[in-house]
Amino acid sequence: MTVIWTQSGIAENDPWSHPEADGGSKLLPLEEALEHAQDNAPFGVVLQPADDVRALAPILERVSIIALTFPAFSDGRAFSQGMLLRERLGYEGEMRAIGTVLLDQVPLMLRTGFDSFEVEHAPTIKRLVEKRLPGIDLHYQPAADQTDAGPGYSWRRTAILNG
Amino acid sequence: MYRYDEFDHAFVASRVSQFRDQVERRLTGEISEDAFKPLRLMNGVYLQLHAYMLRVAVPYGTLDSRQMRKLAHIARTYDRGYGHFTTRQNIQYNWPKLSDIPAILEELAEVEMHAIQTSGNCIRNVTADHFAGAAADEVADPRPYAEILRQWSSVHPEFSFLPRKFKIAVTASDRDRAAIQVHDIGLQLKKNEQGELGFAVWIGGGQGRTPILAKKVKDFLPEADLLSYTTAIMRVYNLHGRRDNKYKARIKILVHETGVEQLSAEIESEWAHLREGALKLPDADIAAINAYFEPAKLDARAEGWGELAAWKKSDPGFADWVGRNVAPHQHPDYGMVTISLKPIGGIPGDATADQMDAVARLAEEFGHDEIRVTHEQNLVLPHVALADLEPLYRALLAEGLATANAGLITDIIACPGLDYCALANARSIPVAQEISNRFGDPVRQAEIGDLKIKISGCINACGHHHVGHIGILGVEKKGAELYQISLGGSGDENASIGQITGRGFGPDEITDAIETIVDTYLVQRSGTEETFIECYRRVGADPFKAALYSSEAEAA
Repeated sequence: MTVIWTQSGIAENDPWSHPEADGGSKLLPLEEALEHAQDNAPFGVVLQPADDVRALAPILERVSIIALTFPAFSDGRAFSQGMLLRERLGYEGEMRAIGTVLLDQVPLMLRTGFDSFEVEHAPTIKRLVEKRLPGIDLHYQPAADQTDAGPGYSWRRTAILNG
Repeated sequence: MYRYDEFDHAFVASRVSQFRDQVERRLTGEISEDAFKPLRLMNGVYLQLHAYMLRVAVPYGTLDSRQMRKLAHIARTYDRGYGHFTTRQNIQYNWPKLSDIPAILEELAEVEMHAIQTSGNCIRNVTADHFAGAAADEVADPRPYAEILRQWSSVHPEFSFLPRKFKIAVTASDRDRAAIQVHDIGLQLKKNEQGELGFAVWIGGGQGRTPILAKKVKDFLPEADLLSYTTAIMRVYNLHGRRDNKYKARIKILVHETGVEQLSAEIESEWAHLREGALKLPDADIAAINAYFEPAKLDARAEGWGELAAWKKSDPGFADWVGRNVAPHQHPDYGMVTISLKPIGGIPGDATADQMDAVARLAEEFGHDEIRVTHEQNLVLPHVALADLEPLYRALLAEGLATANAGLITDIIACPGLDYCALANARSIPVAQEISNRFGDPVRQAEIGDLKIKISGCINACGHHHVGHIGILGVEKKGAELYQISLGGSGDENASIGQITGRGFGPDEITDAIETIVDTYLVQRSGTEETFIECYRRVGADPFKAALYSSEAEAA
């Protein structure tokens, strides 16, 4: 079973997942999103790894959620897309990881700006629900997450992952 | 050298427990082998032909005696009493049990070591000139910058699932001993006209299936911009590097297919957004890291000059060793000593636990407690007083570590090949051993002079065959091993990719073929001072091809 997880827990009745079921809001691919921005209703976008996230810049304020796709756990393009959305474009809305979302990648996704996760892998869901993420609280580089300055050098950061 | 602070200790300890948890989840089946593979690789654990292999990082090739003793202890306790030093200045163990690996990592952490990012599609262990901090010709010590890169790249959230592995090398001299032009990023530390430090930056070099020399994208990158510019390169590569074919996924292919002008324009535009951000290096941080690499306090030892001359006169073996294996130090009373891990007929890069302990002891006694691993699979004591060379030589001799062949034909680089490696198509080690035995006579080696033979057991080129003066590539043809020869490669500041001579040679023919090439060189050279590579560049491949394949031409 697929669930939506955020750091507050499993999201119930998520409006953006399974859009076909209730015929409500749904995530639009990049091209459609750019067209849809003519209307006024808030909407969500789903991006593929080859999409240029910078194309969203002019319409970003109207976007309610951006889903970035990990077609395989080995495909890390969405980590850079996430960084660009948060750091370059200043996007502050929901950013969801979809596709292959596995436990050991979640801490990296959190660091690169993701805040919601569509997860199917049962052992991953179990650990996420238990708040037992397999990450490290000490970082050697700034990213897009909320961190404190680390001791010693300008590039270090700290954050409590399973707080 | 760099010492861990509390942050580093806590980080490595967390990384070990993270990996322990990953291993446990693998053993209970919560992680599939497919999904586990990149996780174990990012911690240096391979599954090879006969066993797991653990590759331990030796950042920029620098060790102290305490660390070397730990490497010996691990070889003895968890392996079969030896380890193999690699072309990335690392050490690998061929026989550890997967269940022992978390314990090994804990032992390593005790001496400020780890196996982080020694494999996987991430930023690998950063390498540097093995003579850094000692070489007479360097602008400044390049290792502080390698250390900054090591820290910044560790468990990088954006760059842990790159299209392919990513290798960075740093040097600080016009003489390139770090092979920076065959790295994904090559950095040469230099000074501008104002005397400020910065880097010439090359990108897109690499060996493997498609050997390509790197292209220079920056003539002078200020040191403060090291991390922002590197991040810009990495981000462009992560987003645009090919992922449809692992053989075309390195940045060298992206550079080649996009064109260096366009790609460097994209990098510049990315960098413009990053340059003044959080990655800008404060002077104080650069100074603080540099302080760890303050030169060893070397007392004047001028008595060594006279003693050295007398010892050399009385012992030709010692004189040969000094001539080949000792290079000039910044301090005139000192030398940089190469400890050859290429005994005649031995396995290139292997050292026993006892030998590692001996090197540790000698580094303490004569070498200011510093040891280096070279990408040529030797060890170096970078700071030895000339006055201590004779006792050091005696001690090395007793350990089988005094082979006087640095840079000679028997100083061969070889990958582990089909004796160990799951990727290999052919054996490398027996070929290296046979060539070493054939040319082992010291008089003959000296007559031949500087000559680098590099052997890979498959197209991945871990043995750097593309940049060997003589390169040997093992392939498999119709179920048999076959060795292709390339000539004219070089990994230094005059880098070049070797050219294949023609059809390959069987395992029982390859040493004869090498001998034919060497004999041809001896005939062709203009004099004893013309080295093999100089001669090859002057006369070209034809005389060598003619000698190798003449009988076939006649038969046809």
